[in-house]
Amino acid sequence: MLITWNLLKDILSIPASVEEVAERLTLTGCEVESLTRPGEKLRGIRIARVNSLRPHPEKETLWVAEMDDGRGTALVVTAAPNLSAGDYVPWGRPGAVLADGTVLGAKDFGSVHSEGMLLSAEELGVPQAADEFGILRLPEDAPLGEDAPSWLGLDDVVLDLSVTPNRGDLLSLLGVAREVYALFPGSEWKKNPADLPESGAKDWPVPFQGITLKTPGCSRYCLGFVTDLKGGSSPLRVRIALSLLGMRPISPMVDATNLAMLTLGQPTHAFDALRLPAPEITVRPSRPGEKFTTLDGKSHIMAEGDMLITSGDVPVGIAGVMGGENSEILPETKTVFIESASFDSLSVSRTSRRLGIPSEAAFRYARTVDRKMAPVALKYIFSLLEEWSAGTAGFAILDRTDCPDDDRRTVPLTREKLGKVLLTDDLDEASAILNRLGIIEKSSSPEGRIFSVPSWRPDISIEEDLLEEVGRIRGYNETLAPRLPRVLYGRGDIGPVTRLKGDLRKILLSRGYVELLNYSFLSPSFISLLRLPEEDRRARPLSLANPLSAEQSKMRTTLLPGLLRGVERSVLAGWRTGIRVFELGRVFLPLPEGGHEEVEKVAGVVYGGRDGRLPWGHSEEEDFFSLKGDVLTLGESRGICLDFLRGHEPFGHEGQTARILSAGRDGGYLLRLKPAVEKELDCAPLYAFEFDLGILENPVLPNFRELTPYPPVLRDISLFVPADSSVDEVISRIRSSGGDLLQDVRLFDIYSGKGVPEGFRSLAFSLSYQKKDQTLKDEAVEEIHSTIRNTLTSFGYILR
Amino acid sequence: MTEIFDDLEGMRAEFNDALSGTETPEALQQVKVLFLGKKGKLTSWLKNLGSLPPEERPRAGEAVNSLRDDFESRLADRRVFLEERQSSEVERRSGLDVTLPARGRTWGGIHPVAQLMHDVVEILAGLGFSVALGPEIEDDFHNFEALNIPASHPARDMQDTFYFPDGHLLRTHTSPVQVRSMLAHGAPLRIACPGKVYRKDSDPTHSPMFNQLEGLLVEKDISVADMKGCLEVLMEGIFARPLKARYRGSYFPFTEPSLELDIECVECSGKNPSCRICKGTGWLEVAGLGMVHPNVLRSGGIDPEVFNGFAWGIGLDRLAMLKYGLTDLRVLFDGNVPYLLSGRTFSC
Ligand SMILES: [Zn+2]
Repeated sequence: MLITWNLLKDILSIPASVEEVAERLTLTGCEVESLTRPGEKLRGIRIARVNSLRPHPEKETLWVAEMDDGRGTALVVTAAPNLSAGDYVPWGRPGAVLADGTVLGAKDFGSVHSEGMLLSAEELGVPQAADEFGILRLPEDAPLGEDAPSWLGLDDVVLDLSVTPNRGDLLSLLGVAREVYALFPGSEWKKNPADLPESGAKDWPVPFQGITLKTPGCSRYCLGFVTDLKGGSSPLRVRIALSLLGMRPISPMVDATNLAMLTLGQPTHAFDALRLPAPEITVRPSRPGEKFTTLDGKSHIMAEGDMLITSGDVPVGIAGVMGGENSEILPETKTVFIESASFDSLSVSRTSRRLGIPSEAAFRYARTVDRKMAPVALKYIFSLLEEWSAGTAGFAILDRTDCPDDDRRTVPLTREKLGKVLLTDDLDEASAILNRLGIIEKSSSPEGRIFSVPSWRPDISIEEDLLEEVGRIRGYNETLAPRLPRVLYGRGDIGPVTRLKGDLRKILLSRGYVELLNYSFLSPSFISLLRLPEEDRRARPLSLANPLSAEQSKMRTTLLPGLLRGVERSVLAGWRTGIRVFELGRVFLPLPEGGHEEVEKVAGVVYGGRDGRLPWGHSEEEDFFSLKGDVLTLGESRGICLDFLRGHEPFGHEGQTARILSAGRDGGYLLRLKPAVEKELDCAPLYAFEFDLGILENPVLPNFRELTPYPPVLRDISLFVPADSSVDEVISRIRSSGGDLLQDVRLFDIYSGKGVPEGFRSLAFSLSYQKKDQTLKDEAVEEIHSTIRNTLTSFGYILR
Repeated sequence: MTEIFDDLEGMRAEFNDALSGTETPEALQQVKVLFLGKKGKLTSWLKNLGSLPPEERPRAGEAVNSLRDDFESRLADRRVFLEERQSSEVERRSGLDVTLPARGRTWGGIHPVAQLMHDVVEILAGLGFSVALGPEIEDDFHNFEALNIPASHPARDMQDTFYFPDGHLLRTHTSPVQVRSMLAHGAPLRIACPGKVYRKDSDPTHSPMFNQLEGLLVEKDISVADMKGCLEVLMEGIFARPLKARYRGSYFPFTEPSLELDIECVECSGKNPSCRICKGTGWLEVAGLGMVHPNVLRSGGIDPEVFNGFAWGIGLDRLAMLKYGLTDLRVLFDGNVPYLLSGRTFSC
């Protein structure tokens, strides 16, 4: 929202600089994003008269003007086609500076010595203010010799305000003036643009049946009448003001409606009186499926809840959004009906969003428009058109309303809440602040006061709203010295999940993993990359209805693709040695009964790197078992001993895939990726793990052994076991036959090949026996050891 | 009698001289032979003991034996000294280049945003705030309605939303967790809600997914001053130094009054008019905050006439960028190991 400092000062006298006003607006909630000075660079440009104009003696396309700026005359060569002798124009003598910083000089064009330049609107920095091609011709009352930029109003400051959605009232010059009036107690009203004389009451010279309101979404509808519209353009200074406010000048009629909106905040719309289908206006809900073409030529299909302006039941406008092609004013239009209405903000907002029409009008209606401004805006437009001699006004305004004028709402402010939230009991100060905002004290009691809220502040409806007004204007920096809440209920608890994640992060950090944080979105291509079959629920990710791109259209069902991408990215970025990455985050899985669940996962991917050479030879190579150590450590940090079972994953190496189990619950996988997937990613070997954080949720307290002074006795066992028997299986058989005396079983050798029977492999274990209250005798050890040996034999293992 | 002892003292001096001159085990062996060998000086002297008068023999014998013990222990000490000196020499010659790379895995790293999240929840725990978590896929009620953002309200434009075909949405802030916590626990309540949030936005300063941390305190008689105090402790904790704070009025549908917190620029402290971090303003916008709107308390099942409180939201990504001097938000989610490690003190 743009306003200019000069326009603001036409309304208010302000005892502060524009910088101070900008700072104060920013601190009180209306951020001033920038201050720009469009005429900042302009220097030495004066209003001058063309004394005479003759063709250049040698150059066909050029003219030679004799210029007079009241300080003497000089010749200037120009190519402009639009000059005549007697015109007043901006002239920059040598040394003058243009809007883009160009410094003018004198120059010879053939035999003519040219002193500086005659200037166009573009060279003055306001290209949109031009209404013809060529030099900017000034009106006849332009004072000769005066500084042209300041006479044109270019020595202004444009403030760009970022208005929050609750403050629709600040979307106008009047609104900003009211705010500044409240912020600077020394400021005074000079001329309120809404204070206008009554418009005329002449009967319309055309038959008109009236206005019908058939929807509660329109609570007031005013219609004005103007005839004898002149074409052409608005006065130059109006065009410049509009340009500075970011609007393109078009015609006096359009410019007047735009100025009314920028000044008063009230959108209006002009219908060509001859093109309106019938001499009446009805505001009604749209019929589903009804078609309508807006004045930008686009056709729309209406939905239930949209509001249409119709004439003879033919739609001529979408209420508050945009008028129709069928009744818009044309350059030759002479007579118009001007709509100035009050539409429901939610209804306009919904329609404009659905149709994707972010018009200035819809933007304002969505933020609510002061209902009282509807007739005022018409009067404002009439007065402009008359002032510019651009049309005949003075006709009565038709004002249709279906409810009484908005009674001023009342809101209380109590001493108690003022004291509680803002730590002050000064109700007089609060009342004075509110008063300057137009929020007037109506009654007073020892407990508090009652205030009445003006029509332009619909955002204020409860006591807290008044607290905000008082708080922001008193200033949150000058008052309310920081303190801590007086009651402390004890230390907070970061909770089991955050604590667990913190622990896991530290462990993975110390095991050489780098944490990645990937988007929760995936490209659907991950399903084929991971070879996920249809029946795998990870192959049925939730889809966004409105993704930014197909690449980010699915919610991840596994952390693996993001980590694999991280490895790819890192390799591309030049990381040559080993890459270990991990992520902690949620996946989104569909449930068989419908709906979905969010599951916290931890996952890691390890890649040996494009160039894993190290001075230590290959002792550093990553393999299945180095990752197994990482996963085990994650469990150990919680006192949990994770188990591993040969298993399957669609993307896992058939021979190197394990399920990770905690107390029998399958939590995820540890694997080498399928060679085909590795090939696709051009990285091999790749190892990965991923499991539910849930399996580590409940830490297990360590079960410490009793200290004993009696030393353990060690015995070894060597066996040939069938190749399909896992080490875990053999150990559990040793343990179950070993009784209380057997303390530890440790695998220390594994071998297959020469000397081992076909279909078998050789395993060697070290067993330790211990009794806590006495030294174990050899005979006792021998007895239990041979029991173990016999048991193992019974399972078909061969003792060596 | 005295002469005997004088002789022994002379021999001790002679031994000391010889011993201190030894530099090798071989030389040491020679000294040993010279004094204690079969024909050594002390041995020969011992043989002369018989020529002493009988009453003097015990004392003389004692003196000689003590001298022998002394020589032996001194020889042993010298041997240890020489051997260790020799070993040190060998150790030095076979020394390591300690600047070779470490064996085993190094180069691990915690993501800066995760690190900051842990730091922040610890600071807040000290202020009595407990972590509360909630779903990332939310419904309209918890993400909008309960937070005083009705459908079609222009405030929804502030938070462009990702939807699912069934009407669910990706939460646009962690505020729904506040609603869920109020409904579950009532007041008094102090919670911190970290987590991922999503908005349909992507440019150098916006990512469609980012990390937020919201706080909520609902108690009795809470003022804006309490809110300022908590936020300033938090900011000081994050940046490990006190920073100037500035509050501005603002608007959020779920708070009333609403404020924004700026801190002094961590890069230039407002001293550099062309600072790329603060754009020369000297201030950095770091938090949106405000007193919880009564409608929101009601949605959470709390009576706003009895309890009030405040809430705030900070962007962890932006704060992490400020704290660690990162420049492009999107890099945080890029999965690029070299970049993530480049902020560390060691080099590749
Ligand atoms: Zn700075």
